[in-house]
Amino acid sequence: MRRSSGTDRRLSRARVRPLAAVALALCLLVGCSSGHATAGSGGTVARVTERDFHISVSPARVSAGRVVLTVHNRGPENHELIVVRLRHGALPLRADGITVDEKALKRSTIGGLEPGAAGETRELRVTLTPGRYELFCNMSGHYLGGMHAELTVS
Amino acid sequence: MKRREQAIRPFATRGRGTIAAILVMFALVSATSVTLSIRATERSRNRAAVVQVAARQRTLAERYVQEVLLTRDGDAADPAALATVLRDSAHALLDGGTAPAVNGDDDDMALSPATGAVLRAQLEQERRLVTDLTATGSAWLAHRPVGAVPQTASENVTVAIPIQRLRVLAALTSNVSLNATRTIAASTDHNINNLIMLQIGLGIAAVLTSLLLAGALIVATRRQTAYFRSLVTSSTDLVLVFGAGGCRYASESVLAMVGRSEKDLLGSGFVELVHTDDRAAVTSAFAQGGVHKIAFLMTNRFGEWRHLDAHVTDLRGDRQIRGVVFNARDVTERVQLEEELSHQAFHDGLTGLANRSLFHDRLDQALVRSTRTRAPLAVLLVDLDRFKQVNDGLGHGSGDRLLQQLAQRFGRVTRSDDTLARLGGDEFAVLLDGATEAEAAAIAHRYLEQLAEPVSISGRDLVLDASIGIAVHSGGPGTSEELIRRADVAMYVAKRSGGARSEVFRPDMALEVGELLGLEQDLRKGLQRGEFTVHYQPEVDLTTRAVVGVEALVRWQSPTRGMVMPDQFIPVAEATDLIVPLGEFVLREACRQTVQWRRAGLVPDDFVTWVNLSGKQLTKGGVSTVVRETLEVSGLPARYLGLEVTETALAVEGSAGDRARAELEEVHALGVRIAIDDFGTGFSSLDQLRRFPIDVIKVDRSFIQGMEHDAKNATITGNVASLAHALGLVALAEGVETAAQLASARELGCDLAQGYLFTRPAPAAEISELLATAHDTERAAQPEQIAGATRP
Repeated sequence: MRRSSGTDRRLSRARVRPLAAVALALCLLVGCSSGHATAGSGGTVARVTERDFHISVSPARVSAGRVVLTVHNRGPENHELIVVRLRHGALPLRADGITVDEKALKRSTIGGLEPGAAGETRELRVTLTPGRYELFCNMSGHYLGGMHAELTVS
Repeated sequence: MKRREQAIRPFATRGRGTIAAILVMFALVSATSVTLSIRATERSRNRAAVVQVAARQRTLAERYVQEVLLTRDGDAADPAALATVLRDSAHALLDGGTAPAVNGDDDDMALSPATGAVLRAQLEQERRLVTDLTATGSAWLAHRPVGAVPQTASENVTVAIPIQRLRVLAALTSNVSLNATRTIAASTDHNINNLIMLQIGLGIAAVLTSLLLAGALIVATRRQTAYFRSLVTSSTDLVLVFGAGGCRYASESVLAMVGRSEKDLLGSGFVELVHTDDRAAVTSAFAQGGVHKIAFLMTNRFGEWRHLDAHVTDLRGDRQIRGVVFNARDVTERVQLEEELSHQAFHDGLTGLANRSLFHDRLDQALVRSTRTRAPLAVLLVDLDRFKQVNDGLGHGSGDRLLQQLAQRFGRVTRSDDTLARLGGDEFAVLLDGATEAEAAAIAHRYLEQLAEPVSISGRDLVLDASIGIAVHSGGPGTSEELIRRADVAMYVAKRSGGARSEVFRPDMALEVGELLGLEQDLRKGLQRGEFTVHYQPEVDLTTRAVVGVEALVRWQSPTRGMVMPDQFIPVAEATDLIVPLGEFVLREACRQTVQWRRAGLVPDDFVTWVNLSGKQLTKGGVSTVVRETLEVSGLPARYLGLEVTETALAVEGSAGDRARAELEEVHALGVRIAIDDFGTGFSSLDQLRRFPIDVIKVDRSFIQGMEHDAKNATITGNVASLAHALGLVALAEGVETAAQLASARELGCDLAQGYLFTRPAPAAEISELLATAHDTERAAQPEQIAGATRP
């Protein structure tokens, strides 16, 4: 089962859940693997924990190269995760003054996870060069509400 | 296998049960479905309110920020009221209650408490954010430092500008409201999906169960149909259904019987197999259906005509059948049996010829025709001569074969229109329809000719003759009884004339025959009235001339007829069984008389009284008992009694003959003498002479009396005498009438003789005198005088 999904998709996914349940049963029968089973197959693992309205990353310093971020959302709100390389101090805000301007950060954006429900754990595989990276949730008000953390790559 | 033992339930009962089960199941499913739908609808109605309130929170949070700003700018706004609505709504969303209306935009909405861990967590967060938002707003309006307002929802808003802080909190509130709305929608979705799946599951279960029940019903129906079909098809009864277009259905049994396919029989195919004579009846029976029973002939697969009996039932009103049903049965065997029985009733089992009943019937019919057409007809009665001797001598089996052969021969010369019948015994009758006297005589002649050639039976060639009586009916009314009686009279006359001839009835014959018939009546009466007497004829020793015995002979002194000769009434007595009481009478009388003679001392010690025993008496049985009893009653020692038996009587075959011989041996063992009477005229074998306990052979009078004319007779007599001596027997010459015969007999070796030459049969009194004289002369040793004295 894919863990990444947009909000519109999630609605439609609910509708097909019964069918998906059948698909899951078939999947289990044929030995389909689930998401985090592939963790550790390569790269450093960093555990990212999200909750209202805070992000923590452990360890906060990792070696450069392939990094697997295991992102656990403890809720109760839905949260996304965006990884950007920090270049000049604070992140720029959009005109609304509340959310980060992702367009302006396009070039320094490493990766991201769409909003996920409380209780979920997802993986984000990234290749990081040495430097400072900001992990944040850019849902309305969440960044300013406290949802950002820094990861140092050496 | 319990089910098999149960009686077959009617199809309707079984089907009704299944259909009821299907209906009940659908009712249950529908009720469940409706209940679920109603509950789902109620839930979703509540959810709609929840969603509306949750979605409203989003807008209200933004509006709250605007109204706070407006208030700060001095414009008219009421953020405090909005804050109350926000808080109350958040509370109602989480724990249930009334969400208040917003400025009359909507109504108060009653909400039930939120369920689900995720939703409750989100709503709790929302309530905290609403608290923080409104607290921040009121702090700013009150010009208090917003940074001091506690952040209860774990937010960590570091922004110092109050308006921005408010906006962030409003965004967080708005966001959490949106997510709560989504969670509610998702759970509604989930519930709807579950409901749909449940409904689908119920529907599928209901359909499957229905299919299963319907399948079971179909199987049961098929089984029942098969059951009844096999009842119909395996039954030997033929079942047919006819509609307007002819045959509509024919059971397997019909197809098997006629060897055709169903296609060949449908329509007019069946009727074409019905016998043309019956087609109209069959066609009208299935067209009208009014007949309840019908019998007809039809061909089977082998082209044989079969008799069918059909029950016709009009089921045209029956919507299942819509036709006339024939339930037919092949009754050919029964019909044939009936025909056979009727044939047996009208035919003679031995010869296959018509029997007496059929003959009478045919004769009656012929007479009816004759009354109308005045055509003549004739009746022939054929009676075999001496058949009784064959039957007695060779046994009934031979007699039967003889009758069969003769029946075949007669059949060959009988015209096809005439009726040849066996009336019983050796009596045949022929009905000659349209025959005149001359034609009848010619046909009678042909019958006699058939007898000329010997019939071979049991290795013997037998030549039989017949006496034929002819009665001619010249035309017009008449009765069969009269015609047969006339033929009978004519036959009687032919027989009495010596047989081997035919006689045409003449009215004067009737008187003659009537005379004979009257004789029997008189004989019977005579026996009761004691009209019979016994005469005795002495037997003489040819050496000593002494009277060594007498033969007892019956005489009939009729008050109306005078003295009747034995050759006249003995045949009648034999034919009517009167011979038995007559014979016993003679035996009793002879014994009684002998005892009297012996007491008077008139007879020598070895004197034997001989009594004739009829063949009929022997075959009837009981002779030994009668003889023993008679001897006991009379007190005569057995050795003084002799019984004369004919060769033919001794030669009777079968159990009757065996018993007769056994009885004679028994009697002989008592001491009673046995003589063979009329030796040389009947059937006898030397072997029988050797084996059988015989004391005397009586040479038939025809040999004795013929000696003078034919040397052969003398030779036979001599040989018989030699034979007798060789077997240690005594030879007696019967019917000695002349001195020459006496001389010859003596010369040829006969030991004893009897005849007119010596003495005629005479009453006991006369014999007593004779014996007394002889007794005296015996003393004087003058035996010759006896003959001379008694010569007539």
